[in-house]
Amino acid sequence: MKWLMSRMGLIPAVMDALRKSPATTAFPKSEVVLPESYRGEIEFFAERCTGCGLCVRDCPAEALFLEKKSRDHYRLVYYPARCAYCGQCEESCRNHAIGNKHRLVKAKTNIEDWIQILKEK
Amino acid sequence: MILEILFNLIVFPGLLFQTLCGFLFEWLDRKMLARYQRRIGPRIFQPVADLIKLFSKENILPKGSNHTIAAALPLISLASVTTAGIYIPVAGFSPQSFAGDLIVVMFLMSVPTLAYYLSGVVSVGIYSLLGGGRSLLQFFSYEVPLIIALSGPAILANSWTILEILQAQKELGSFVVFQPIGFGLTVIGLIGKLKRDPLDIPKAKSEVVAGALTEYTGPNLAFWRLVMNVQAVLGIFLLINLFFGQISNITLLRVIIFIAVALVITILLSTLSAIFARLRIDQLAEVGWRVLVPIGLLQLVFVVLLRF
Amino acid sequence: MNKISIPIGPQHPLIKEPISFIIDISGERVIGGEIRLGYVHRGIEKLAQSRNYIQNLHLIERVCGICSHIHTTAYCYAVEKLLKVEIPQRAQYIRALMCELERIHSHLLWLGILAKHIGLETVFMHTWHDREMVLDVMEEISGGRVTHAVNKIGGVRCDIIPKHHMLLDETLTKLKIQVESLREVMINEPSLKARTKGVAPITPEQIKAFCVVGPIARASGVDIDLRRDDPLPPYNQLSFSVVTHQDGDAWARTIVRVDEVIESINLCAKILNNLPAGEIEVRTKRSVPTGEVIVRAEAPRGELFYYLRSNGTEIPARLKIRTPTLPALSIVPTQLSSIHVADIPVILAGVDLCIACADR
Repeated sequence: MKWLMSRMGLIPAVMDALRKSPATTAFPKSEVVLPESYRGEIEFFAERCTGCGLCVRDCPAEALFLEKKSRDHYRLVYYPARCAYCGQCEESCRNHAIGNKHRLVKAKTNIEDWIQILKEK
Repeated sequence: MILEILFNLIVFPGLLFQTLCGFLFEWLDRKMLARYQRRIGPRIFQPVADLIKLFSKENILPKGSNHTIAAALPLISLASVTTAGIYIPVAGFSPQSFAGDLIVVMFLMSVPTLAYYLSGVVSVGIYSLLGGGRSLLQFFSYEVPLIIALSGPAILANSWTILEILQAQKELGSFVVFQPIGFGLTVIGLIGKLKRDPLDIPKAKSEVVAGALTEYTGPNLAFWRLVMNVQAVLGIFLLINLFFGQISNITLLRVIIFIAVALVITILLSTLSAIFARLRIDQLAEVGWRVLVPIGLLQLVFVVLLRF
Repeated sequence: MNKISIPIGPQHPLIKEPISFIIDISGERVIGGEIRLGYVHRGIEKLAQSRNYIQNLHLIERVCGICSHIHTTAYCYAVEKLLKVEIPQRAQYIRALMCELERIHSHLLWLGILAKHIGLETVFMHTWHDREMVLDVMEEISGGRVTHAVNKIGGVRCDIIPKHHMLLDETLTKLKIQVESLREVMINEPSLKARTKGVAPITPEQIKAFCVVGPIARASGVDIDLRRDDPLPPYNQLSFSVVTHQDGDAWARTIVRVDEVIESINLCAKILNNLPAGEIEVRTKRSVPTGEVIVRAEAPRGELFYYLRSNGTEIPARLKIRTPTLPALSIVPTQLSSIHVADIPVILAGVDLCIACADR
């Protein structure tokens, strides 16, 4: 029996595939479930940010930009189009001001959304 | 009289009926392949949508190709295949028939292969030339066993007319029982003629990008796809007529059995597509001339002995 | 017969990334070929000289999509050697686990591509469905399917919690059953054997002359594997066997890779069982002392070679990467003489092209 099954090549696999349901999903109609630790868009907690600039120094895609006029007057700008979603800013921030939303929907309808001012003081 | 012939050519077993059957065949084939590969597969009107989309595009060919011949070749193939179709009975209904029409049908169904090669030559491009040449090489390897296999039923029924072969099976029983090898060789020949996996050497996607039709776009390509579908459907009808015959006399039962056998043969073709890899052209020539032709001749000798 | 040149050019259904082969054929036999590279050259070594070490980590990850983790692993070991820090054992084991998972998914990808190019689309779809299991596990652990970003200088970023343990055990069991049945199919399928047996054999002398590494070398009987010969930290404590084969043709390369997948599944199970408890990172300084270092690692395609020189600042002075696809490409013109035209996809797929690695 085993010898016969091994000589039949792909036929058992193909008949098995007919029994199981398709492995692909019809995307816009059915939901896609993302895991909990999915690394997606960043979430910014403005009250914890002190304008130190560690995230700006370590961002590999130069997506964060700090305009610092004095110790209490600064502006943090974020360009989502350049972001590589690597999570390095979350690692570098010492005050835990950057988190992760665990989802990624990149299409935006408004062109002004492509330059986000995260904190202005 | 003229009106009846026009009706046969265009509507009933003519262009419209064959196109409709061609759409159903293409949908079932793609859906079965998708299910074997654990995908969902297209919806029922996908072949129609593809054809409409192709008709809305432009005809673009490289510099140096002859636009008139390139546009005429698919139309000539479509005309010859449709004409062959009116002599093949559908569920016992045979509007036109004359003595010796099996040979005419076999010849008319080989015209698209020659037209495929010519369309490869006329659209100037390196992949088209290679694909066209390969299609002729493949033609020599599967056509001889196919003709030997198709002559089996003709000898057993003592006539070269398809309608008479059909009626001879009412007394003698279905011919597939006496010549299973002939049935197998015809299926292989059909796979070669339709250029499906495992014999899709002329349009192997990884070596020659799309074979002789690489440079074709727009309505030209739409007509070629129509020719391929109609050829497939007519091949299946011919297979059913020559090897299974008319099983009963009640019209409704005849139609149902015809449709059922056609579905089974389509599923068989899809399964063979899914489980084999593509052959190399020298392996095909070896198998064709060293294995298939001898067993075809053996089957023919057996059939001749059965007649006496 | 006269000679015609067909371009398997920068865009072709056969290749995933742009590379140009110009192949001379006469009738149905191939007489020679020529390769042109450089279509995906992004200048990564030059870009690395103007970014600091932490930014470079994410740049290096994007050299290649299939073997992204091993590039960052080699880079991190190089920087840690210069900083003279020793990362915790748990971090070493987690790095090795992701390396082995990556080896599994890279070989399954290659198997699907080979099957697709010889016409067996069914095997292509089934193999890539099995590969999805591995990618889902990697996404659960690290957060990304392709760019995992697991490493950081001084350790790893994400830990393996008990929920991941259970998921990994389940996945490895299911995967082992699937791969073993796949192996049975590959060995016994007659049309696959007919297309790959005896095609373009490479002798061990040619391997040594062209410096070919990885599964291609092991399929010709040359017994080299950096995980045993020059191991990075956790591999010197793990035992596994190196798969070789004697024939050297396309069939041998297929069997070697399938057996390596099974070996990697066993190794993953061993790593999970022996995972030590403890920290997963140490803090390091940002500026690296002067020095130069060489690190070699075993990528899915062979030996990966990193040279790093620093001058005491936060920005490296020179980074040199030598990827294993480059010598494999240099032996392709030799393989291309006197074969059939229909064997070209088998050879090009057998090289396991990763042009982004070769061009950097």
